[in-house]
Amino acid sequence: MSFFGFDTTLPKDRAPNAPHPKQAPGFSQQQDAFAGLSRNDNAEEEGYDFEDTYDGLGDELDERDDAFNDETFGGSSSAPGKDFDFFGSTAKVANAINEEQLLYARGPKKSIPQPSQQSPVQQRPTKQPVSYAAATKAKVVVKHQIPTEIPELKPEMSLWQTTSPEATPTKSMSAHAAVHFRHVEEPQATSQLISAPPAAAPTQRKYKSLEEVEAEILAKKQAKLAATFQPIQQPPPPQPQPQLQPPQPAQPQLNQQDGWPARPVQPFPQHPQMIPPPQHLQQTQMELPFPPRAMPPPQQNQRPPPNDRAPEHLQRGPIPQPPGQMPFPQMQPGQPFPTNNMQFPMGMMPPPPHGPQFVAIPQIGQQQMVHMSDEEKAKYLEEQSKRLKRNHKIAQLSRYNGLMTPQDKNFITRIQLQQLVSVNEDSFNEDFYYQVYMAIRARNNPQQPLNQFAQTYLGQQGARGGRARRQDNHLLRMQQQVQRAVAAAKARPKASQLVLEGSLGKISFSNVKTPKPLLSIKKQDSTGATDPNQKTSHSTFAGIDRRSILAAAEDIYRCLLELDSHERKHPGPNLAGHQPDAATVQWLETRDALVQKLWRSMRILEPFKEESSAPHPFIAILSVKKAKEAIPRVFRYIDIEQRITILTMITISLDQVDVIKDGRYPPDAVALPPETRRKIEGFSQYVLPPLLSYVAEAQLSLITGLLGILIDRVNLLLLSQTQIGLAFLTMFTSRAEIIKQAGLADDEQVLKWTQTYDRLFAILEDHLLDIFPPHGAQVDDMYVWQFLASMAVGANMQQQQKMVGAVKDRVNENVQASKTLPQEMGQQKLANTNLFLRALGLDIDLLLA
Amino acid sequence: MLFFSFFKTLVDHEVTIELKNDLSIRGTLKSVDQFLNIKLDDIQVVDEVKYPHLSAVKNVFIRGSVVRYVHLPANAVDTALLEDATRREAAAQANKAK
Repeated sequence: MSFFGFDTTLPKDRAPNAPHPKQAPGFSQQQDAFAGLSRNDNAEEEGYDFEDTYDGLGDELDERDDAFNDETFGGSSSAPGKDFDFFGSTAKVANAINEEQLLYARGPKKSIPQPSQQSPVQQRPTKQPVSYAAATKAKVVVKHQIPTEIPELKPEMSLWQTTSPEATPTKSMSAHAAVHFRHVEEPQATSQLISAPPAAAPTQRKYKSLEEVEAEILAKKQAKLAATFQPIQQPPPPQPQPQLQPPQPAQPQLNQQDGWPARPVQPFPQHPQMIPPPQHLQQTQMELPFPPRAMPPPQQNQRPPPNDRAPEHLQRGPIPQPPGQMPFPQMQPGQPFPTNNMQFPMGMMPPPPHGPQFVAIPQIGQQQMVHMSDEEKAKYLEEQSKRLKRNHKIAQLSRYNGLMTPQDKNFITRIQLQQLVSVNEDSFNEDFYYQVYMAIRARNNPQQPLNQFAQTYLGQQGARGGRARRQDNHLLRMQQQVQRAVAAAKARPKASQLVLEGSLGKISFSNVKTPKPLLSIKKQDSTGATDPNQKTSHSTFAGIDRRSILAAAEDIYRCLLELDSHERKHPGPNLAGHQPDAATVQWLETRDALVQKLWRSMRILEPFKEESSAPHPFIAILSVKKAKEAIPRVFRYIDIEQRITILTMITISLDQVDVIKDGRYPPDAVALPPETRRKIEGFSQYVLPPLLSYVAEAQLSLITGLLGILIDRVNLLLLSQTQIGLAFLTMFTSRAEIIKQAGLADDEQVLKWTQTYDRLFAILEDHLLDIFPPHGAQVDDMYVWQFLASMAVGANMQQQQKMVGAVKDRVNENVQASKTLPQEMGQQKLANTNLFLRALGLDIDLLLA
Repeated sequence: MLFFSFFKTLVDHEVTIELKNDLSIRGTLKSVDQFLNIKLDDIQVVDEVKYPHLSAVKNVFIRGSVVRYVHLPANAVDTALLEDATRREAAAQANKAK
């Protein structure tokens, strides 16, 4: 007895005329289509004898060392654990595995002779084509790496349901496979089997009882079916199964058995790549391409015994699938359908084996394969797997084809477009940061970000004209669609809340702008509290209260933002003529009103309060950083007159500006407090440049006037000891010098200037050393040297001598220090000092030499 | 919409997201939506030793409601502009409330 219960007796060992074995199925019983598989019909009928192959190693085992096996492997008393019950757990997932195998089995098959222990057919030297089923099998093993044993050991439960045609695809499949199998084997088999009739019979003996029962049931049915179908049948393939039931003529037996003797083998739909040998072609052409669907597929004669390995693995190829959960290969149009019409339980027609998407490859028959060189084979296999991969991909992609109707798609698109409504409705309200940020970046880097910008947000700038030209049609179309969608959405105003009758609560709808409904807080109290304050701060600005200063600064920004957004609504250049059109006029009017509002928000025209020591409101506002930062933006909108006013206002109150007031080095200190330093930095970064740019174009008379104001009204000594103060003085003197040297002013103005300059010099000449930052302060004293240089340029001989006398020590000190300091800092110090020396007509090199 | 607008400009920048469960994830911001859901690419968990199961994760989608903090790349933020945007937002809110 073999391990799997086969009868291992070789045919030659049996008496040819021995009575039919008791346990073997009789003639009245079903033949086992797969019984032949267990027979090795090699040329050497003998097969291997155990004694021939046994090397006797087992006899040499040392049995004595088994004494401690229990200790090593655990006590033998306990029952074996389930730890290694791989099959048990695998069986649970066997369905999934089966499904997957089916998936692959249905894919295009390669017909490579694969050595496979499970298919005896393939052990033969393959002059005949290998069975398709076997090829499928081999393929699965190669491609999938699924342990073949697992599904084989598991009985297919569906096999035992005999009646419903819906539920029997497997059976019919196996039937097909089996018939097919026989078919392939047949040319060789015929001759051999006649001489060895009992060979297959014993393999059937094990499942006798069940077969008996079913045979009875089917006997009647088959009689009917045979009667019905015999006339239709084409002449069957010669001797389809003689090896199984030799004493019986094949044809009648078949008819009796399953009523479907000439069940066509369908090589083409099954394995399109494999060209069957010619005799196959001829046969199949004669046969029906598909058996009528209504036919209950014959199953009895092919029922594989659960322990019969070979037939069962054949069955595994096509696994029955409930119609509801068909794996996708069944649905793919381009995939070859390897199996019979039972694969289309929904009444689908099998598609042509070579769909349009199919990658055509040369089809290579089995015989050709055999003669191919290894290289060619490898190439061929590679091609095959490539194609397989591609088909698989296509299949996966096309899995969802046609799931959505055009209406569905439209609907989704509309929803998506409406999500963009906010972007296009008023992008600068809802999406201000992004829009402006991207616009700034687009300006800085003209190529890349604009593209991204346009693609991401459908070129919202197109609406404003100008840059839209560069965007392609597609985006514009998209944008129009969006606009239409928006219009439609606006036409149907949405309620934001729904109160159901009798309910206690409200249902709030969220939209894209408010994903969650905001808390609705009663605003009455807060507005009531702040409004009076606001009003008072508007009318009577104290200028002390930090809160009102901040509020005032915010006012400025509010006006600025309004102006900014108004600026964006510019109607564009008027192409019609010089006369501005109505829109432009209106725009300009609004702009003027807004500028006026901005101007008022600066509070620069509010009168000085003589009695109070508090600074002017504008100066007070200027003390906060954000107000300083607003100055450059304000300067963009205001006109020349207003700029002069600002400059004058700052000049008049210069000693009250925080950066001057706090900007002097306290005695014994070598550094300013950090906050003051930050303020000074902010002032010179934001406020000075616009002032400077204005001063750079101012007339000499104005400069003279401003310097006069400084001399008259401001503590010049304080001013001269601060960075910003010196910066102002430098600004005025250097501008005046430029005008003088360029000859842009008449003599009277120059004279006036000279007088003013003399007064300034007179005040400062004794305090020239005080303008330097304290000794040892680690600050850049460039601004001091700049000031000295600008003074020196405008000074006369005497004044220059006085200056040199005053700062000579400092110059020498710097030169000395530069030698000890690191190179970079030393160079910097020398350069600063040189500014002054050059203004005197000297050079630092003279001192160094 | 301010934060939505803001985070949109940080797309393709590296950010660190701190979640409410104390997990910190650093990665490239791929996208953000109006719920402030966040998609990150090339992620790395900051405390990788503590969360080894995340070391194999390459990209994540983070629901906006579980985010505690987002660490921003400072040089990718235009503070002045952000201030302006905030002012606009506040003004819009004030208008809406009226």
